[in-house]
Amino acid sequence: MYEIEAKNVRKSFGSLEVLKGIDLNISKGEIVAVLGPSGSGKSTFLRSLIDLETIEEGTVKIAGEYLCKDGKYPHNKEKARILSKAGMVFQHFNLFPHMSVKKNLMCAPMLNKQGTKEEIEKLAFEMLKKVGLEDKLDVMPSTLSGGQKQRVAIARALMRDPEIILFDEPTSALDPELTGEVLNVIADLAKEGITMVIVTHEMGFAREVADRIIFMYDGVVTEDDTPEVIFNHPKNERTRAFIQSVIK
Amino acid sequence: MDLTAWILQMLTGVKLTIQLFIVTIVLSIPLGLVLTFLKMSKNTALSKVISFYILIMRGTPLLLQIFFVYFGLPFIPVVGKYLVIDDRFTAGAIAFILNYAAYFAEIFRGGILSVDKGQYEAAKVLGISDMQTRFRIVMPQMFRISLPAVANETIILLKDTALITTLGLSDLLKVTNTIVNRTTNVSAYAVAAAFYLILSYILSALFVKLEKKFDF
Repeated sequence: MYEIEAKNVRKSFGSLEVLKGIDLNISKGEIVAVLGPSGSGKSTFLRSLIDLETIEEGTVKIAGEYLCKDGKYPHNKEKARILSKAGMVFQHFNLFPHMSVKKNLMCAPMLNKQGTKEEIEKLAFEMLKKVGLEDKLDVMPSTLSGGQKQRVAIARALMRDPEIILFDEPTSALDPELTGEVLNVIADLAKEGITMVIVTHEMGFAREVADRIIFMYDGVVTEDDTPEVIFNHPKNERTRAFIQSVIK
Repeated sequence: MDLTAWILQMLTGVKLTIQLFIVTIVLSIPLGLVLTFLKMSKNTALSKVISFYILIMRGTPLLLQIFFVYFGLPFIPVVGKYLVIDDRFTAGAIAFILNYAAYFAEIFRGGILSVDKGQYEAAKVLGISDMQTRFRIVMPQMFRISLPAVANETIILLKDTALITTLGLSDLLKVTNTIVNRTTNVSAYAVAAAFYLILSYILSALFVKLEKKFDF
């Protein structure tokens, strides 16, 4: 059984077809980097795995359950249940600006009665420690740097003990000197057995951390292989051109 | 000219002005919020009804609305006889509340629209329900964004309360007018102006504090 299964996933924005039948299986614990030029549909595909985009055709299975079967979704409660073991980290962090760091972490678990307040508070502290920000428990997000914000967002995603985390360009909104701290946190998580799909432009990181690289171009997967092959001997011409243009 | 006597008289008017102000604020803000949610609901018919309501309330003078509620409602066919409001303060307050709710509704809608869509997405992937997202994530941010506009509207309301004079109620302006008519001394207007200024100053100071408190 695969942790994430996508079959013939299709999606259009108006007359523009952005996903043209994506087939992809990801095993439990696999770290997959998704590369490709802007507009290739990689973010849209990632978002369709967690119901932030509705696909028109195709099937998505998460941890063995149908999020979408032949373009048909179950009702909202069922979708929320199926996705309860999945988390997402966004390009722009999307922390709740009116809540302290601690409350950002505690908000969803408290509302969903994941445990007692003391348990959740303890968990929040542990997760912040994991991303090296336990001293920022009581500060407001606006006082943090971009890298710190993203680390808090990762800690927040970890609060529900996810089996899958999707990263949508987690370092693209950061100043270059701040990407390292975030990438290190993600690399550490990669060792914990969480299935991760990472849309990124960080080639060095993808090469080092990912078990497997998916290359997307114009709404289709053009290449799917190990970093070694993708970076050294890409079979597809598009991939080769892209790799050459980003690694000068 | 007996300034102390004037001020004492005017204070009774200030009391009525403040009463009208408070009743309007306390009821029009929640009503405005309800209107915002109805207007932004997925039910397009409902949304259109609310838009029409807001069009009427913002598109006609408040003074006319006050007259309509007090004098006009009883003349509506069939239901009119149930809509007689004898108490002038009540009639005036209803007009104020209905009118201001429309403005607050639009202010709040602007606040909701300026909450980043990433907030909804983050809430969704964390398993926070739509209702909880609205109350815990969106509304607090909406209030913060709306605060300067609400402050503005509130100060306008303070001065608009003078319109209630037209129903013969003894608010600050009415009392002042009586003094001027009796004494033929127009400087009472200056005293009234000072009262309005003091009250609006207190309001602005209050909102500055609120903005600081909810700064994030």
